[in-house]
Amino acid sequence: MADSMVDARGLIRTFDDGTGVRGVDISVARAEIHALVGLNGAGKSTLMRLLLGMLRPTAGTITIAGRSPADTDWATVGHLVDYPLAYSELTSRQNLTLGARLHGVTPHQIASMVEAVIAELHLTQYADRRAGKLSLGNRQRLGLASALQHDPAFIVLDEPTNGLDPSGVILLREALLRRAGNGAAVLVSSHHLDEVARIADRISVMNAGRIIGALDPQGIDIERAFFDLVYSDDVAA
Amino acid sequence: MIIGLVTEFTKLAHATVVRATTALVVLGISLLCSAMLLAVHTDDPQLAAKLGPLIDPGGWIGYLTVAIQVTGAAGFVGYGVVLSWLFSREFADGTITGLFAIPVPRPTIAAAKLVVYLAWGLITAACLLAALVVLGLANGLGPIPADAVPVMGRQFALSLFTIILATPAAWAATLGRSVLAGIGTTIVILVLSQVSVIAGADGWFPFAAPALWAIHSDITVGPLQLALVVPVVAVSVTLTLHSWQHLQLDR
Repeated sequence: MADSMVDARGLIRTFDDGTGVRGVDISVARAEIHALVGLNGAGKSTLMRLLLGMLRPTAGTITIAGRSPADTDWATVGHLVDYPLAYSELTSRQNLTLGARLHGVTPHQIASMVEAVIAELHLTQYADRRAGKLSLGNRQRLGLASALQHDPAFIVLDEPTNGLDPSGVILLREALLRRAGNGAAVLVSSHHLDEVARIADRISVMNAGRIIGALDPQGIDIERAFFDLVYSDDVAA
Repeated sequence: MIIGLVTEFTKLAHATVVRATTALVVLGISLLCSAMLLAVHTDDPQLAAKLGPLIDPGGWIGYLTVAIQVTGAAGFVGYGVVLSWLFSREFADGTITGLFAIPVPRPTIAAAKLVVYLAWGLITAACLLAALVVLGLANGLGPIPADAVPVMGRQFALSLFTIILATPAAWAATLGRSVLAGIGTTIVILVLSQVSVIAGADGWFPFAAPALWAIHSDITVGPLQLALVVPVVAVSVTLTLHSWQHLQLDR
């Protein structure tokens, strides 16, 4: 796919408990929000970890911006998988500064970038509060800010609405739409089908480590369509 | 590497665990030694009789010899705790996922942790020696005699040996992904060191050799035996960096 930011083919990585991914093909185009939905244990997080180099595939290939993972410019990637990059002893601002450094942002850009994302995700009143003192939702917001602040070209977010209040969900939605509008490729997993339908250009359904179909984001009863797909796959297996 | 050093220094400088351990190593060891000094000079003859041999030959040299013995054990545990925490906290806090898919290679981050730990250890060792001197003067030991200066040098050198010999804790904490794995390894090494001395290995067990050399006991420790510390530390550091290079979040 010529405009693909990310292209993975035949990814396999399984675990002793039977979970994992089994032959997944997936791509995310530039300026596209591609959502992954599935039940717990479907393999969404494993797939994201494979794409981000946290796991090595037993088989399959991954290219990011046309390069292998070993040659990828990781400064152009932003992610939040499982836990936010937030050290409890540091303030929100210090954590964001640290995150910007780790993403290769030049020192003279860091301060303005951090202030911009603090304003964007409404973290101003928590900017000088230690992360350990933040609520779960604000800690998640901080992690999202760290993942998004450097305007990455490829964004990977695993269940990003975890812990967020409704206003946080809206802020995240707007932040992702804005970045996708600017050309970023976004891969996001979620349990919230309605939320996914609001922002995604494509929705892929995972079950038992495979991508078993797609949902129409404009569909009328997306929840029913999701369960029909999963049920059919389970019966076929 | 500079990015790694700056981020690791920021984390270490704000960490409660590091501050508490610094206080325990510096104040704990120095106060313990000065308390023993005071206890020997009490009016209680039984207490003086029990503690007296520990600070033999008395004065500055006896006091510093006690400090060397305490540094070898308590210091080793303290340094092992900080090193274990530095490496395991990324797994315990879940921040390890944020150290993937970034332009800074993970071995660079691990190396930065070791460098920052070394710098902290050097400062802590210098503060410990300074605290020992201040408390020795405060407890009325008088001016430091010339023959006590080499003993002070050995105390400081033992701190440095202890700092670098704690590096297996970094590898253990990485493999075990837990602070207990690192601390447990530190304690096992400490016990093995004691056993090696009792078993007659003398200075040939690298983890025990520096303490034996510093205490200046009847056991002679030669340069070759002390030099064995180098490969031990090199292997520990190499294994730690290798583990961070090949790390996978598969458990």
